[in-house]
Amino acid sequence: MSDQTGKQLSKEEKDARFEAELLPVLDPLYNFAYRLTLDEDDANDLVQETYLKAYRFFDYFEQGTNAKAWLFRILKNSFINEFRKKSKQPAKVDYSEVEGYYNTDDVEGESGVASTTDMRTESVQDLIGDEVASALNALPVDFRTVIILCDLEGFTYEEMAKILDIPIGTVRSRLHRARNSLKEKLEKYAKSMGYNS
Amino acid sequence: MESKFTEAYPKAPDETRQADCEKVSGMLDLMIDGEASSEEQTFFNHHIEECVSCFENHQKQKLLKGLVTGHLKRVIVPKSLVQSIKARIQETL
Repeated sequence: MSDQTGKQLSKEEKDARFEAELLPVLDPLYNFAYRLTLDEDDANDLVQETYLKAYRFFDYFEQGTNAKAWLFRILKNSFINEFRKKSKQPAKVDYSEVEGYYNTDDVEGESGVASTTDMRTESVQDLIGDEVASALNALPVDFRTVIILCDLEGFTYEEMAKILDIPIGTVRSRLHRARNSLKEKLEKYAKSMGYNS
Repeated sequence: MESKFTEAYPKAPDETRQADCEKVSGMLDLMIDGEASSEEQTFFNHHIEECVSCFENHQKQKLLKGLVTGHLKRVIVPKSLVQSIKARIQETL
């Protein structure tokens, strides 16, 4: 069983392992893709491409290692490459170039929503979710990414550093800035919900 | 409020207290993400017992994380996606 080195898997073995170890990550992976692209079709393509690459390189994947982090890394890199090709999306530049612009609160156009909507519990929950989603979607993609990885998927800083290929210190500072940015966008809303300071 | 601080840190001058607040503020993310070492946790928890504004900042930071963790809706994976993935893999072999 300890054939870790010169492993030559049969196609059946490979397919079985691929399905058992990588396909269970489909749900978080699709969610990540969707939060990056903000488009269902793009997310679909990105996930397919990620699995295709993962299959191609599956021989290099060591059983029992962090499949989720590995797939997230592939997807993130595919996204960057894909996005560089699609020059029609100039809005998605590196956060350092745009973060200065995010101090304004011009994104919060729908400020009247909370007060005019029926306050049944379920719709309030939906409302909070919608508000969080729109605040998050308005962040630069690098900020959005660290928040998704950390708060939605529960990756550790070390895993995030590996997925994003940046030092842990950068993970920390980026996360810090991302949260400040998100906080600003949500503050107005939070106050309307009674979470004022 | 002033006197409370003085009791807790009889020998600590204002600058020390301020430095502690700054240190704690820089640790907020580590704490809410469960990345702080046990030493850091002890320092942090001790400080927020004595300092109301740091305590409040910690609450707010937890709330912020909770909004994403607890309220951001997950999107549903299209049913056809698994089949598409498998089909594309077989195609490209």
